[in-house]
Amino acid sequence: MTDNGKFTDERFQLTDEKTAIALDVLRKRLNRQLDAALEVCVRCGLCADSCHYYVANPKPEHVPAFRAEQLRKVYRRYFDPIGKLAPGWVGAAELDQEMVEKLINAAFGTCTMCGRCVINCPMGVDTRQIIRTARAMLTAIDMTPEGLKATVNVHLEAGNNMGVSEEDFVETLEWMEEELRAELGDASIKIPINKPHARVVYTFNPREVKYFPYLIQAAAKIFNAAGEDWTLSTESWDATNYGLFSGDDEASRKIASNLEAAINHLGADVLVMAECGHGYRSQRWEAENWLGRAYPFKVMSFVELQAQYIRDGRIRLDASVNPKRVTYHDPCNQARNGGIIDEPRYILKHAVMDFVEMEPHGAENFCCGGGGGMLSMTEFAKDRIAAGKVKADQILATGAEIVATSCHNCLDQLDEIRRHYKLKVKIQNLSELVAAAIIWPRQSGE
Amino acid sequence: MAANWIWITRWIAVIGLAIGALGIISRLQAILSRPFKQDLARPRGSIRRGVLYAFTLGMAPWEKESTRLHWLAYFRGIFFHLGVFAAFAVLFASPWLAAAPGWLLWVARIFTGAGAVFGVAGIPMRWIGENERNLSTPDDYFAVLLTSIFTALAFGVLVEAALLPIFYLATALLAIYIPFGKIRHCVYFFFSKFFFGLTFGRRGVIGQPDAS
Ligand code: SF4
Ligand code: SF4
Repeated sequence: MTDNGKFTDERFQLTDEKTAIALDVLRKRLNRQLDAALEVCVRCGLCADSCHYYVANPKPEHVPAFRAEQLRKVYRRYFDPIGKLAPGWVGAAELDQEMVEKLINAAFGTCTMCGRCVINCPMGVDTRQIIRTARAMLTAIDMTPEGLKATVNVHLEAGNNMGVSEEDFVETLEWMEEELRAELGDASIKIPINKPHARVVYTFNPREVKYFPYLIQAAAKIFNAAGEDWTLSTESWDATNYGLFSGDDEASRKIASNLEAAINHLGADVLVMAECGHGYRSQRWEAENWLGRAYPFKVMSFVELQAQYIRDGRIRLDASVNPKRVTYHDPCNQARNGGIIDEPRYILKHAVMDFVEMEPHGAENFCCGGGGGMLSMTEFAKDRIAAGKVKADQILATGAEIVATSCHNCLDQLDEIRRHYKLKVKIQNLSELVAAAIIWPRQSGE
Repeated sequence: MAANWIWITRWIAVIGLAIGALGIISRLQAILSRPFKQDLARPRGSIRRGVLYAFTLGMAPWEKESTRLHWLAYFRGIFFHLGVFAAFAVLFASPWLAAAPGWLLWVARIFTGAGAVFGVAGIPMRWIGENERNLSTPDDYFAVLLTSIFTALAFGVLVEAALLPIFYLATALLAIYIPFGKIRHCVYFFFSKFFFGLTFGRRGVIGQPDAS
């Protein structure tokens, strides 16, 4: 991509054939929900301050409705009678090279599909849906930014988005099992692999296997402390699904069905998604719709499960182990788009001594800027970091020393924000804090 | 002569309203002919509560950050729309206005008068605000102007009955324009709000006992 937002690579050149394909995708995706979202916007601009891009850099191009308008213009030109007859009157536009570049910048470049504008729109416009449709059209004509495209492809080819081999996966698990046994001096600790009919199957973000194995250790400690009947699958274990971000329903479906098959083969009751915001959203809220069938098992987030363990007394925590001030960043895909709002707070009230909310929080929380697959699209990194200023200010105002979250994309983006804005905070996963605070059953004489 | 004009323009208004209604029906038909995207995910929250919230408390000015921040634009919109609804009430009651109680006429004058003022105010507000100007199309300006004129004429009729024929002509123009221009959001509003309540209610984000 050049500095003026132009995509010069051959595959970003629009042809007649590509135009037809993109419009066909739009036509096929036009359901009642999308139609309403495209038609109802009154262009009042009230959504402007909902978007972290706009708050960090208030310009008209950063207003959520402006982004959605790029697709609306195309929709009106090809699907609305007045848009066809008098395009200038209603702001309709041809899908040409210029428009396609505007769409790429709006849909991939400056929107994380966080949904904050949706809950703030007086008309209930679902901008997330419009943006994902624009992404789907662009992906269908091979105009997905390189990094995002590669992430989806690697997942489809290797079974996980980082191309981790089964051998490496199993070795890492065995290594973590040994570490945990040594840490707790308990040889009975297990990280079960492919255990048939376990109640729970747990998934990981491949980054945990590759870069953050201590998070595997934390999860294993929690499961063992709770006495859970759990297992991991070598058949399919990646919690992520970047098809959600590329808008490619076919890829999304394939990835989701691999995981579905693995859970079914093991005969588990519950699929537990690692602390991965979009992974949770994909499996919990979108996958069954992509597949067109309901799962025979339940899907839940590890955050929900940890809260349940604490509530049921299956794990006991000593908050004094975490004496520093902690704030919590709600991942958009878990809170606003998934309803997991009370659970992390319940957990933190038991796991740390000094918990403070950032403002706003919960469903109203600002996106950190790492959503929507943004971290994989390096060409838009400058805008992403600039938009992270909103989060930096939120964090700073809390006076916290630790920012807890429960999503890997958030974790990465928060860490970049920390470095860029020179924040004196540590970014941690919720499960790390929980694992550290666990009163190990045998230590307490049980 | 004046009675003839009233009679003629009233029929023009009726024809205009019929055309508008047909246009709205065709818009409704178009959206209803599209597939409804079923949600197969197990609900986490109450869908009913989500939808109820979307159409009630969710529209309160304090419920959304956007309306808390832009309360002036919010109230302008509310008074404008109340004025438009009052203007339609005046339209449908127009043959019997002489028999209406005085207090009711005063209420209608207040609503339509304020509605017209807040409607017209929307034009400079849209033009002055950089974001709004950038988003706007000619249709946006025309729609608010046409609706404001209609509302102002409803007010006018309540002050001077001789304006009735012009009010009827404005009615015809507005009614015909509704399905074609931006004003058609009145049709999609109910769909959009319903889907909003459905989605976020199902996920337990809005309208639930412990959620806002
Ligand atoms: S998306 Fe909603 S808030 Fe934004 S301009 Fe459209 S109607 Fe207004
Ligand atoms: S979904 Fe989020 S990032 Fe996208 S326009 Fe709305 S508020 Fe901005």
